[in-house]
Amino acid sequence: MIHSLFLVNSSGDIFLEKHWKSVVSRSVCDYFFEAQERASEPENVPPVIPTPHHYLISVLRHRIYFVAVIQSEVPPLFVIEFLHRVVDTFQDYFGVCTEAAIKDNVVVVYELLEEMLDNGFPLATESNILKELIKPPTILRTVVNTITGSTNVGEQLPTGQLSVVPWRRTGVKYTNNEAYFDVVEEIDAIIDKSGSTITAEIQGVIDACVKLTGMPDLTLSFMNPRLLDDVSFHPCVRFKRWEAERILSFIPPDGNFRLLSYHVSSQNLHPLRSTSLVAIPVYVKHNITFREGSSQGRFELTLGPKQTMGKGVEAVLVNSQLPRGVLNTNLNPSQGTYTFDPVTKLLTWDVGKINPQKLPSLKGSMSLQAGASKPDENPTINIQFKIQQSALSGLKVNRLDMYGEKYKPFKGIKYMTKAGKFQVRT
Amino acid sequence: MPYLGGEETVRELRRALSNPHIQTDHLRYRNTIHRVIRLMSQGVDVSGLFSEMVKACATGDIVQKKLVYVFLCSYASVNPELSLLVINTLRKDCSDPNPMVRSLALRNMCNLRLPGLCEYVEQPLTAGLKDKAACVRRVAVLGWAKIHALLPNTEIDAAVVNELYGLLRDPDPVVMVNCLRALEEILEEEGGVAINKPIAHHLLNRLKECDVWGQSEVLSVLQRYRPRSEDELFDILSLLDPALLSHHVPIMAATLRLFLSLCSMLPAVCVSALERARGPLLAAAGSSSRELRYAALCHIQLLLRSEPGLMGEHYKRFYCGYAEPPYIKQSKIQVLVELVNDDNVAVVLDELKGYCTDVNTETSQAAINAIGSIGRSYDDRCLGILTGLLELKQEHITSAVLQTLRDLVWVSPQYGDAVCSALEKWEDQLQDTQGRGALLWLLGVYGDRLSGAPYILEDFIDGVRSEVSAEVKTELLTATLRVFLSRPAETQDMMGRLLQHCIEEELDMCVRDQALLYYRLLHCGIEDVRRVLQCGRRSDLSLGPLIGRPPEPISQWASIFNTLEPLMLGASSNGFQFGNGPELEKALNMLSFPCTRVWFLKTLCLFVVIFQAYVMCPVPRCSPESLQVALQLVNIQTLAFTAPNKLPWKMYLYTHSSHTLTPHSSTTPPNTLILAEVLQFTML
Repeated sequence: MIHSLFLVNSSGDIFLEKHWKSVVSRSVCDYFFEAQERASEPENVPPVIPTPHHYLISVLRHRIYFVAVIQSEVPPLFVIEFLHRVVDTFQDYFGVCTEAAIKDNVVVVYELLEEMLDNGFPLATESNILKELIKPPTILRTVVNTITGSTNVGEQLPTGQLSVVPWRRTGVKYTNNEAYFDVVEEIDAIIDKSGSTITAEIQGVIDACVKLTGMPDLTLSFMNPRLLDDVSFHPCVRFKRWEAERILSFIPPDGNFRLLSYHVSSQNLHPLRSTSLVAIPVYVKHNITFREGSSQGRFELTLGPKQTMGKGVEAVLVNSQLPRGVLNTNLNPSQGTYTFDPVTKLLTWDVGKINPQKLPSLKGSMSLQAGASKPDENPTINIQFKIQQSALSGLKVNRLDMYGEKYKPFKGIKYMTKAGKFQVRT
Repeated sequence: MPYLGGEETVRELRRALSNPHIQTDHLRYRNTIHRVIRLMSQGVDVSGLFSEMVKACATGDIVQKKLVYVFLCSYASVNPELSLLVINTLRKDCSDPNPMVRSLALRNMCNLRLPGLCEYVEQPLTAGLKDKAACVRRVAVLGWAKIHALLPNTEIDAAVVNELYGLLRDPDPVVMVNCLRALEEILEEEGGVAINKPIAHHLLNRLKECDVWGQSEVLSVLQRYRPRSEDELFDILSLLDPALLSHHVPIMAATLRLFLSLCSMLPAVCVSALERARGPLLAAAGSSSRELRYAALCHIQLLLRSEPGLMGEHYKRFYCGYAEPPYIKQSKIQVLVELVNDDNVAVVLDELKGYCTDVNTETSQAAINAIGSIGRSYDDRCLGILTGLLELKQEHITSAVLQTLRDLVWVSPQYGDAVCSALEKWEDQLQDTQGRGALLWLLGVYGDRLSGAPYILEDFIDGVRSEVSAEVKTELLTATLRVFLSRPAETQDMMGRLLQHCIEEELDMCVRDQALLYYRLLHCGIEDVRRVLQCGRRSDLSLGPLIGRPPEPISQWASIFNTLEPLMLGASSNGFQFGNGPELEKALNMLSFPCTRVWFLKTLCLFVVIFQAYVMCPVPRCSPESLQVALQLVNIQTLAFTAPNKLPWKMYLYTHSSHTLTPHSSTTPPNTLILAEVLQFTML
């Protein structure tokens, strides 16, 4: 299925290769480099590149291309999903997934790749099971290993693979029994010139960290399960029960896992959903003008909170690609700091927290290239932000119950909203 | 600097590896091996350390073993003789009490990739199939597939194949899936694993136990199974139903594909499966991974070919984000064109208008093309947008607009006046070849209505010496001749100059031949010129119903769903240009695909007619559909036909000649395309 994997950095060097079947020559990547050269931006390289004898399927994450070499027909979604899983695993193991981290841990990387695929077929990809096979490197463990000479490879067979519930190992023991759930929602939106919403949708996930002894059987119920109709689950969730009672009932995997992901869209025509349209948490007032024949342009931007259910908007970051004709900017932020790169024409404004009493603004002038005609399009503004303790869709967990075990677990739930691809057209 | 000082380091490492002090110190020995692997990954040739590393293999330390195996597998092919030494250690490990060690040894024995060593491997592999530990069986099963790949010419023992079939019922789900994978590879020539009823049911029942990757593979193998009865079919479907909503896109896609192949005879079930999978597909199209989004979009394009209404109300989900890569924007634009309907046409056009000024030229061209194709079925708002874009005076936009206008008036001649008024004030210079070709074509066709046409042509003719593109030159010849027909007084002189240049000085044979052809044609008299240049190349309005391409049956694309092909289609379908010469071949190849109406009409005009005949025959009393089916039986394919109640009713047919079938093969060159136009003047 997957023949070989090449890791390529953004300057076009192969810094790691791994072959599961026969060795494929590096020259196969020339087709990839060609595409990379043609692309103006790193992310513009097409994900599937056909070559005379192979297909190259690539995924770009953390400025590294993960290029899989495929020889026969495969489902592309499968390969893309697998490559993402490889990246997630690296990130899980090394904290960051950069070229330097991979080079530092090259031995662990080889071990991981060896375990994740055999003869090109995915073998062990669950992070629970992998961590039993190969211990992740930590600074402490590296020190301890050097002193005691112990290994970073599990010497025992991962028991999880032999249990009746394939996603959970048997004989789990914890002194503190805890179950934490994070409801994380990302809002993707496009707002038009006049401030009305063109499209808005929420991608939500519930990530869980469950550390419970034995074989607990959990049920999780929501205050408003009707919100969730476009939803997909971890394989542990009993689907029949969800369909009948709208209750999540499951034996959880051990450790971190994604319980479910869901989607709420603004234009769902479902009659019951009319009340829960996607709320837009921030608004932007803008006034960006260029005058014909003048070498000055005006720039004014004000941000404010809107429909946030009383929670503060934090970690706000605004960036915008200004037109090519802009030479420099002279702006004055009421809070935070701003930078403008005259080469890439990228304006970044790190706002921080929005104070509803004193709205943050960025005002000033832009100097334009002399003699150039007025840019025909106004820039688009991208905004990132976070809202703690609130899920924008209004999703709320009602209660969590545990059956099958005697002890009383510690339970916790956290909500968070983030901006995904949130952009305002001006 | 990986290559510098490599030799020195290798020598030092060799000393360290053979140093007895280090060998006895567990930790230092392993650290040295670590360094070897690190060097190896940096591209230093450390194959010289092979014999030292073979010795390091004989250890009880499982980590050290793993590391050494990584080394050995990369360099075994360089040192086939020395590798024989490893086999001994490996075989010993294969009988180790620790299952971890056994599976590790077995796996690496097959990974050495030395055909010469296969005879030593077979025995431990056979033993491995019967091992108590599941992890050893997993490796052993795949090991047979590796042996088969190494020695493709030798048959794998039938007993082993039988054993593998038996292991499909292994209690461990991974062994089961690996068995499927191995059998698929070993039995590739026989068409893969034989899926009979018991095996299919067994696989279906155990589907839940497999991991996500296994599930998607089992689902794809199950496609070969045909249920015996309708009850069985529906049992299978209801078992698979929840997977259509799976969290993992690959599983959802594999399930959907299985649904489509199982229900190929039940279109209603297929449609409801598509509706069920709509949610997850849309979610994938909005996922945070660019690559996944692109793959999902390409598959959505496939679905829309049959079910254009499926995503209708979700058209806003296909609006492009500002920072998205061009390949995603372009496929979103293609999807948007499919989703246009009476209610949203204004909004979508507004949105597309925004994309026309995208920084990426390909994206802006795709958006302009999209507006053009919406213009074929919707009002002249599109035309307003397109002509408005001309005023931006951006080279690449102007060029794309001209090409789009050419294609548009080709299909909908009623826009001619509007195009003329837009071109009336033309005074720009264009560098782009395709754009100039389109401009010349428009000038030629509307030369009689555009007062400035001869003057623009004159500019072109004055610059013909510095013109490099043959395509533009042939287009210029035709355009000049056409304008000459309607306005001889203004054009005669410059046409003379152009013909003289093209016949006497031109180096490109195609251009010269065309000029000669026109020159001789002019000798035959003006009426003949008119007949040649103005007939046949006009579009045919009676093919109107083909505008809304009829929805294809799902079976048309079900076989390529969830394969690489839709992604390739997505990549190639934009930017396809028609010209003369080699494109004709491409065009012919495209005929086997369902093509759009414009393509079809354009292609028809490109054919070189060798032989033409009119045949009169009585019409069989049957519906067009049954006529089509009957013709397909004798290998005659239908290209297009008009709506059934139109008169005259038209149908275009084609077939390829082949030597064996036609007795007159001496007169027709091999692979001649035979086209037929069927006209029917009475109602059925």
